[in-house]
Amino acid sequence: MADSEPANQKPAGRTALISVGRIWTIAASTFTQLVRMKTFYFLLAFAVLLVAAGNLNILFSAVEQLSMIKKVSFGTMDLFAWLFAIVATALLIPRDLEDRTLYTILSKPVLRIEYLLGKLIGVLVVILLSLVTMFVIFSALLHIRTIDFLHTEVAILEQAGRSQEMIQAEAEAIIAQGLRKEMWVALWAIFLKSAVVASVTIFLSTIASSSLFTIIISTIIFLVGHASQMMIDFWKDQFVDNIVVKMLAGLFRIIVPDYQIFSFYEGIILGEKVLPHLVWSMTGMSLFYVGVFLLLGLLVFFDKEF
Amino acid sequence: MSVPAVEVTNLTKVFPVSLRKEYVVAVDNLSFQVNAGEVYGLIGPNGSGKSTSMKVVLGLMAPTEGETRIFGVSSRDVRARNDIGFLPENPYFYKHLSGAETLKFYGKLCGMRGRDLKDRIGELLELVGLEHAKDRRLGGYSKGMLQRIGLAQALIQRPRLVILDEPTAGVDPVGSRQIRDLILKLKEDGISVFLCSHLLEQVQEVCDEVGIIFEGRMRREGKLEDLVSIGNQTSLVLENASSELVDKIERLIETEGDGAELVEKGNPRTTLERMFIRIASSEKQEKEEN
Amino acid sequence: MRAILEKYPRWIPIVAVILVFGLIRTPIEKSLRSQLIETHLLQPPPARTTLGALKQSSLMGMLGGLRSMVAVYLTLKAYEHFGVMEWDEVESTYDLITSLEPREEFHWVHRIWHRGINAVASVEVNDDLTPAERQRRFDLYSTQAIEIGEAALEQLPNSVKIREQMAEVYREKLRDYCGAAKMYGEMKDLPGAMQYSTRFYGYFLAKCPGNEQKAYDHLYGLYVETMSNLDRKGERGFVDHRAPTLIITLKELEEKLDIPISQRIPDPHPDEGLKRRNRPTGRLPGGVGIP
Ligand SMILES: Nc1ncnc2c1ncn2[C@@H]1O[C@H](COP(=O)(O)OP(=O)(O)OP(=O)(O)O)[C@@H](O)[C@H]1O
Ligand SMILES: [Mg+2]
Repeated sequence: MADSEPANQKPAGRTALISVGRIWTIAASTFTQLVRMKTFYFLLAFAVLLVAAGNLNILFSAVEQLSMIKKVSFGTMDLFAWLFAIVATALLIPRDLEDRTLYTILSKPVLRIEYLLGKLIGVLVVILLSLVTMFVIFSALLHIRTIDFLHTEVAILEQAGRSQEMIQAEAEAIIAQGLRKEMWVALWAIFLKSAVVASVTIFLSTIASSSLFTIIISTIIFLVGHASQMMIDFWKDQFVDNIVVKMLAGLFRIIVPDYQIFSFYEGIILGEKVLPHLVWSMTGMSLFYVGVFLLLGLLVFFDKEF
Repeated sequence: MSVPAVEVTNLTKVFPVSLRKEYVVAVDNLSFQVNAGEVYGLIGPNGSGKSTSMKVVLGLMAPTEGETRIFGVSSRDVRARNDIGFLPENPYFYKHLSGAETLKFYGKLCGMRGRDLKDRIGELLELVGLEHAKDRRLGGYSKGMLQRIGLAQALIQRPRLVILDEPTAGVDPVGSRQIRDLILKLKEDGISVFLCSHLLEQVQEVCDEVGIIFEGRMRREGKLEDLVSIGNQTSLVLENASSELVDKIERLIETEGDGAELVEKGNPRTTLERMFIRIASSEKQEKEEN
Repeated sequence: MRAILEKYPRWIPIVAVILVFGLIRTPIEKSLRSQLIETHLLQPPPARTTLGALKQSSLMGMLGGLRSMVAVYLTLKAYEHFGVMEWDEVESTYDLITSLEPREEFHWVHRIWHRGINAVASVEVNDDLTPAERQRRFDLYSTQAIEIGEAALEQLPNSVKIREQMAEVYREKLRDYCGAAKMYGEMKDLPGAMQYSTRFYGYFLAKCPGNEQKAYDHLYGLYVETMSNLDRKGERGFVDHRAPTLIITLKELEEKLDIPISQRIPDPHPDEGLKRRNRPTGRLPGGVGIP
């Protein structure tokens, strides 16, 4: 692809290789853009929601109340992460095009893959930072509530003259609902899912003509991707001998991403153990997804005309 | 003979409309050159294919046929864009960035950083007269300011070629005067400029060479004076002339004209533009004096 | 590269990439999925793939990250129904909750407690019902509670709390002491079981006709174990099984089984008091055990 160029007119600086600096510049600008769009006010809302959930004054046991705080928090984090991944990614590229900012960027020595990657990374950095912030807020609250419950419950049990054994058991049950290292893995799982969702969305936004279309299609894929396994199982179960159905189910599985496996944080929140190699595998899987959908996006984008 | 800044050879660009049944030929077998160090103006009415040609030159679009080169490098090669600064028509930049941040962003995209970038930003802000607004977000910029920050952005990496799409569109006469002065300054610095406009008057003072494009085809091309002067006409402007004198002259033309014809007669008016500039600049002077 | 790509319509390479990617990832995803299910990080698909189950579970699957939030919401909803004693609504809500989060122990405990204790108790005192209807509902609700418990144990085979709650239904409502004994018997060997469960196993076994000898052997074994370890009293791990009920039950069994006087246990020392401790009432289960 290298064109012959006269020696005395050699263009300075730019080689045809991908430049990390350029990607980072675009990512940083995407980050500032999203931040200055006041996205972080969401975190305030999150904190309020958490405090509310943490102080539901109802007649549930300590263990249950703590578990509710965890579920509401992580549910909100997950919801935020994938919704933000879809909406922000879907809005950014069309907006650049509408404002003709894209022309000025692409008429600088910027590779189109650099642009796509920069946008994706910018969105993901915002998501990651938000998630970490939410997690810190959540941890503080959960920790306070755990200590709180521990004191009151133990006091109540002691006053009631329960055996030491029983008090011990209750205390352990409460502590088991408290903070665990594995929750970072849960957070990572949420982030992985949002990264996959964002890369699928970025591919869609290179073909789509409007943000709205991208958002709708990506959301549909998200929902179907969560139910796909069950739908396939059901078809196979209902039409055992039907070759056509079998093939269709196979095709369906090949085309539709299996988003559900990325929801494995839910088990972690319920207190299940995590095997490190599974986390690595899921991380690898996510990277694979991101890579492939970036490649797909690039296939559309690299000679797209504006 | 040095390599031309822009070289467009047999460029044709066809757009499909309504699902591959109909086509729009936006640019039709267009060829021209922008010589290094020159200012070239592509003039044509709306929809004549000016922006399309520029986008192909910039590599934002692929040609249907033909090819374009920048300093000898194909437009499709990213490296060609090291040498170009581009200002699109009615540009908008990231509203959330300030003027200085915008320039920093584009500078970094061109691989600049540190002192060099900082100095360059200061230089350019001064050049386009936006120092006072450098920390304001672009969301609050007027159209003329946007145009000027756009120009600064195009110049950030000291390109050898600047491509300007309607640089004076939507800008008031004072602003477009400034922009034209800037273009002349670029030319002094040896930078090649490729611009387009649908208003001949707006660019005539700055262009060395002009191409007139209509419906995607080059209609006329050449040095500006050659294109605009009408060789067989003479104009005569009189001051304090009595109506008798004018009548006399008219009669003289009729009787002894030898085929000559009076084409136009009337009171010449100072152009609105000239008046506007005069008022604005005198006001500015007053302000500066106070 | 570009030249090749430009030759063909763009959808061809795109579809090709999607297909190849799909072919590569499906087997990997399949194995990841089964590993995640095995480690309980992911909820397995429903066993019966009826249309109804599918609708429900795919809806839940679609919820994505909302699943646990919906569970929280439904828990609050069930609590509301509980407040106004709408027992069937409580049960159907908990049915949903437990299918959303089948491995959350306290959901199951609540469900059994609501069905087997609360609903049954309110039937018992409902004067609007005919005695026959009262009996019918009593039987229905309490057996349902036991069925729920069995479903729960399928999900959480090592749960102490579920067994405890089932034992309460057997004990307090069904008065099925054999059932209660079975629960305590299973409980006593599980990690996290309270010390009393092994004694309770003996107490209820004693009340389960035909098992008196077994009960005696078990309780006597506990007694002997305690006596032989008396020198370790106060140390960690020492369990004093000589609860008043144990002594009384053992004495009853000795009578019943005609144990020779020489082998009978001595009367309790007056200092090893038979006094009972106060026990608070009215607390919800789940957090705190019953006895
Ligand atoms: N992306 C596109 N798809 C279809 N048709 C297009 C596209 N871009 C331009 N055209 C058509 O090509 C022709 C030339 O457009 P172009 O924008 O180059 O004109 P222009 O000379 O820049 O006009 P103006 O002075 O209004 O900016 C027009 O008829 C326009 O409708
Ligand atoms: Mg135009």
